[in-house]
Amino acid sequence: MTLLIGALIIGLILSLLALGVLVSFRIFSMPDITTDGSITLGASIAAILLVKGVNPVLATAAGALGGAAAGAVTGILHTKFKINSLLSGILVMTALYSVNLHVMGRSNVPLMQATTVASYGEHLGEWLAGGKTIHILGWPVSSADAAVLFLALLFTTAAGAAMFAFFRTQLGTAMRATGDNPQMIRALGANVELNIILGLALSNGFVALAGALLAQYQGFADAQMGIGMVVWGLASVIIGEALTGTRSLGLTIVGTIMGSVLFRLLVAIALRWGLNPNDLKLITALFVFAALVLPGFLDRFKPRPTSAT
Amino acid sequence: MLALSGIRKTFNPGTVNEVRALQGVDLTIEPGSFVIVLGMNGSGKSTLLNAVAGSFYVDEGTIRLANHDVTKWPEHKRAKLIGRVFQNPFSGTAPTMSIAENFALASRRGHARGLGWALSPHLMKPLRERIATLKMGLEGRLDNAIGSLSGGQRQALTLLMATWLKPELLLLDEHTAALDPKSADQVIQLSDEVIQRDNLTTLMVTHSMQQAVSLGDRIIMMHRGRVLHDIRGAEKKRLRPEDLLDRFDEVRRRELLDESAAAMLNELYI
Repeated sequence: MTLLIGALIIGLILSLLALGVLVSFRIFSMPDITTDGSITLGASIAAILLVKGVNPVLATAAGALGGAAAGAVTGILHTKFKINSLLSGILVMTALYSVNLHVMGRSNVPLMQATTVASYGEHLGEWLAGGKTIHILGWPVSSADAAVLFLALLFTTAAGAAMFAFFRTQLGTAMRATGDNPQMIRALGANVELNIILGLALSNGFVALAGALLAQYQGFADAQMGIGMVVWGLASVIIGEALTGTRSLGLTIVGTIMGSVLFRLLVAIALRWGLNPNDLKLITALFVFAALVLPGFLDRFKPRPTSAT
Repeated sequence: MLALSGIRKTFNPGTVNEVRALQGVDLTIEPGSFVIVLGMNGSGKSTLLNAVAGSFYVDEGTIRLANHDVTKWPEHKRAKLIGRVFQNPFSGTAPTMSIAENFALASRRGHARGLGWALSPHLMKPLRERIATLKMGLEGRLDNAIGSLSGGQRQALTLLMATWLKPELLLLDEHTAALDPKSADQVIQLSDEVIQRDNLTTLMVTHSMQQAVSLGDRIIMMHRGRVLHDIRGAEKKRLRPEDLLDRFDEVRRRELLDESAAAMLNELYI
């Protein structure tokens, strides 16, 4: 049960990363590998501030802002200096590796002693339940875990709703149109370059927010924690699209959150069954490969309609 | 009012692909004038429209529009003054977004875009009424993705979007060339209606002689990056398609003469 709750919490936290990837990959059609660096940046900034005794909410917000800045840099490299979008992301991701080491001062910052948003949740749980354990459906569960899970669910839902609302504003719709048809939105007076910079900042802000929260939940920030995270995000987005379809943005956002949680659960189960953790990235990459290729491959075997519909 | 003076533009200068697309264009268009731009392929007519719209900066010359010197304005800033419809029906709309959202974007042309809701009730009512006048049955499908519509429908909607806020200048770049004849007629009729109703200053590029004689109050014929003929007033009203074809033939003969002369010179001297 603890394992299940742990997987759910991490899945929910990483769904913020997946939402960030949704913005760059689906809305702007740019696989943005800055993600790998900005999740670690968010974790590093939050961790180092927490160790210094900064309020956890402020530290988390600072981590998210750091990620947004990194995303903006990628956007500027791509739009102002006309560097290929993938290469812009690679450059920033590589640079961030050094930046993260500088921020942390070493390759790993433990947070065991620090007060974090996770410890808020734990206190809340114990206070509400009046004890160390509660029973959910007859299972004994640590009240701290249950409270953190509840908070993670609440926060993720709020973040998803905020993203949905944002993409229905004047600025948000202009951003969607930027990804959809830049020529059209430029002819309607929007600054396409600025929109891309803002969009990548938003995307990496979400990613770094996930990093800041993940560090606090798992109790450390680590310079290596970002490796392969963009592929993780892609996998979540793709599973989400299979679950809810892509007909509306709201459904896609809900799907992405569900996709992240489901993917994390599958991974937890696979690890439990004895999957070698070293194979995890390989399997994630293979999964995304299959998800990208299979739809087109299957279409070839579908009977074609004989007349136009 | 639109005033171009001494506009020159060379693409890929100094390379084998050098194209002198505009070679000194001077043109003044009075407010409310509906100008048809004709010319053969490569004559520079689309380049002229793109220069005005700001798709690129001109090498020489100035562009003034509605009392602003817009020569150095980037494309998105000029969009405040200019409405555009492109040749490709896919170019003017965001396909995965709904009809209503596309119009919401058009209703902010030239205005700051903030965190207000894109789809406001102020927009929806007039939008539904206006789209109903198209008689395409689209007023009940405002939430459908615009990418699901036909080229003709999309082009009609693009035209309404471009003119939703009255532009100082409307640019139509062969906007019916990619449509089937029936849709093309519909879109042309709609264009004429909108232009007459709002008294829009318009530049329209077309290949159709029929459209050229029946629409507008002035014809500009481009050739090799310059304005070759400028037909207006009573002469424009009298003009028949055959007259235009004659002028095209004249241009073509001159072209042929140039080429055969060049071939002869080549043979004799090289």
